[in-house]
Amino acid sequence: MTKQPDKIKRRTTVTREPKTRNGVTAVILFGLVAGMTGLAFASDPLYRIFCKVTGYGGTTQVAEAPAKSKIVDQMVTVRFDANVNKLLPWQFKPVQNTIKVRLGEQAIAFYEATNVSDKPIVGTATFNVAPFKAGEYFNKIECFCFTEQVLKPGQTVQMPVTFYVDQSIIKDRNTVDVKSITLSYTFFASDDQSEAEKLQTTQFITDEKDTIISREVVPKG
Amino acid sequence: MSDTAHADAHDHHDHRPTGWRRWVYSTNHKDIGTMYIVMAMIGAIVGTATSVAIRLELHEPGIQFISDFQFYNVLVTAHGFIMVFFVVMPALIAGFGNWFIPLMIGAPDMAFPRMNNISFWLLAAALVMLVIAGLIDGGPGTGWTVYPPLSNADYHPGMAVDFGILSLHLAGASSILGAINFITTIVNMRAPGMTFHRMPLFVWAEFVTAVLLLLAIPVLAGALTMLLTDRNFGTTFFSPAGGGDPLLWQHLFWFFGHPEVYIIIIPAFGVISQIVSTFARKPVFGYLGMAYAMAAIGIVGFVVWAHHMYTVGFNVETRAYFTLATMVIAVPTGVKVFSWLATMWGGSIKFDTPMLYAMGFIFLFVVGGVTGVTLANAGSDIAFHDTYFVVAHFHYVLSVAAIFAMYGGFYYWIGKMSGKQYPEGLGRLQFWVSFVGVNILFFPQHFAGMAGMPRRIPDFPDAYAGWNMISSWGTYITVVGAILFFVVLWKTLKSENAAEANPWGVGADTLEWTVESPAPFHTHEQTPSISTQPAE
Repeated sequence: MTKQPDKIKRRTTVTREPKTRNGVTAVILFGLVAGMTGLAFASDPLYRIFCKVTGYGGTTQVAEAPAKSKIVDQMVTVRFDANVNKLLPWQFKPVQNTIKVRLGEQAIAFYEATNVSDKPIVGTATFNVAPFKAGEYFNKIECFCFTEQVLKPGQTVQMPVTFYVDQSIIKDRNTVDVKSITLSYTFFASDDQSEAEKLQTTQFITDEKDTIISREVVPKG
Repeated sequence: MSDTAHADAHDHHDHRPTGWRRWVYSTNHKDIGTMYIVMAMIGAIVGTATSVAIRLELHEPGIQFISDFQFYNVLVTAHGFIMVFFVVMPALIAGFGNWFIPLMIGAPDMAFPRMNNISFWLLAAALVMLVIAGLIDGGPGTGWTVYPPLSNADYHPGMAVDFGILSLHLAGASSILGAINFITTIVNMRAPGMTFHRMPLFVWAEFVTAVLLLLAIPVLAGALTMLLTDRNFGTTFFSPAGGGDPLLWQHLFWFFGHPEVYIIIIPAFGVISQIVSTFARKPVFGYLGMAYAMAAIGIVGFVVWAHHMYTVGFNVETRAYFTLATMVIAVPTGVKVFSWLATMWGGSIKFDTPMLYAMGFIFLFVVGGVTGVTLANAGSDIAFHDTYFVVAHFHYVLSVAAIFAMYGGFYYWIGKMSGKQYPEGLGRLQFWVSFVGVNILFFPQHFAGMAGMPRRIPDFPDAYAGWNMISSWGTYITVVGAILFFVVLWKTLKSENAAEANPWGVGADTLEWTVESPAPFHTHEQTPSISTQPAE
């Protein structure tokens, strides 16, 4: 055999049998696979945390009353937008179209929803603000969007949102030009309709032999 | 594919299986590689049939043959899945990889021969699942990207998408197990003296590809599982009504999807490096640059996924980052292209069919690559997204470049695999017909896309008629090229010319050329000396 050049490494440090080395390598690689799969499933909570912390995509902040920001004299216009998913038979609109509010000052706004169908329905709302970069500074203290809403057939409710715009919005180079923020909601029929079902009962219609021939869902009471 | 004469010479301690058991229970890397290549050929016939159907419909404006648009969408979906998962990946990774990694590193077989077998049969099962998906409940008409809400239960009720998800799970499992096999083999079973920096570039390519597979496919598996539970078990990962977001699917899919395209092309790079150095009769220029360029492409490929999502509403900083990162990939890619050119410069070039394909690859991959740089721009992508410009781009880098690497690899290695050499004249004809065909097919699609023609549509406004007709004629020529390929295959296997151990001469200096043609059932049973290996 020709003399091996010096720069070829010799495997003097390997002490395991080939089969065990292969086994160890395979275990490490399976571990990598498991890790990446875990990361994929973790993506849902991870993305949520990312959006919450950075306000990305207009994700708003949640705060506790009272407003933790000092109030400055600068005004900002807050507009209100309302949408309904087509599968939800509700009407939904803001009670006021715009409010002018000082930075840091707590304000309250109302939305009105009406269930125009003949069954009780549970709805949930998704929301964000535009421009997206304002999301980091828009703090909601109380919001109907934090909980599901159950509306009986024909019922109308007014739902409040308590919020403030943190005054540090003018300290950020990217958002100092924001004069108007739009808060937008979209109502969907909740996947979990159990609260609505509790408000209903099934009535069975029987013939003279007490055999059920049809059934109907009707409101309770 | 050795015959019995060779079997007698090498059959000592264990029985060599015969008949159907040889194939169904195979633990032999050459036989398994052959099965993958046969599967790729079958997949290519089916995948090409879907694309011919599409281009026949798009030959003229108006609806000619396909009035069921769900069916049209199913054809588009099937075309994508079959070509990616059942043609290119089995051929370039599992087929050539299984055949030549052990041969090139001096190993007697893969690290886990039985797991190798399961990888193949999982893929076969995946193909069956995909076919079933296409035949039930209207089929999955979602595109290979399977975006919800279209892929969710509201818009694809029935089980077609579920069977598609199952098929992808099986294919993904097959690839993950195969990747573990490849990495373990390459890390642990190289002959003494073959350090990482002395491995053939084809082995480097397969190694990088296997690592990418390992990291990317689990993310697809996670996303597919979430879609499955959304469709069937009441979860709402992708449904805003339950607090989810369709955009999550896009992030997860493209986090897998972008590395996937590098998974497809990096083995092709490996094949081209082998061919170019053989036919220029010089070692590849800048071995370390070539090896680490592939690694760099693989790594950077993981942080650019959102360039498939520029129109979803990202803020400008996000789009700027992804534009920049995507363009960065052009740098190591450029290192490779220039290195291949530098390899040819000053070489004594023989223009046999494998070399024609390799040179065709280099030129046409660059064409496809530069349109990729155009698309990398978030600004201009607003105009190009989901148009035929994108279709033209990825078909140049996949359907032209990757397929040329497959054809080239076939011509380069068929003598070693089958023991028979291909007819050179017919091979060159097959190259030229294919070359002309694919360019007439795909080049006009750039113009259709720049003019605004959307993708995934069965009919289009009259303004796009000209480019579409030219493109469809290109399809028919390409199909003639494909038929010619099968003619070459037939003539090769039926021919009387035995192939020598090394038909290519001094330029072919990797270990597979030191064994007989066809390669015996068992090779490297004695670890070979590698003092004559290339590079450092």
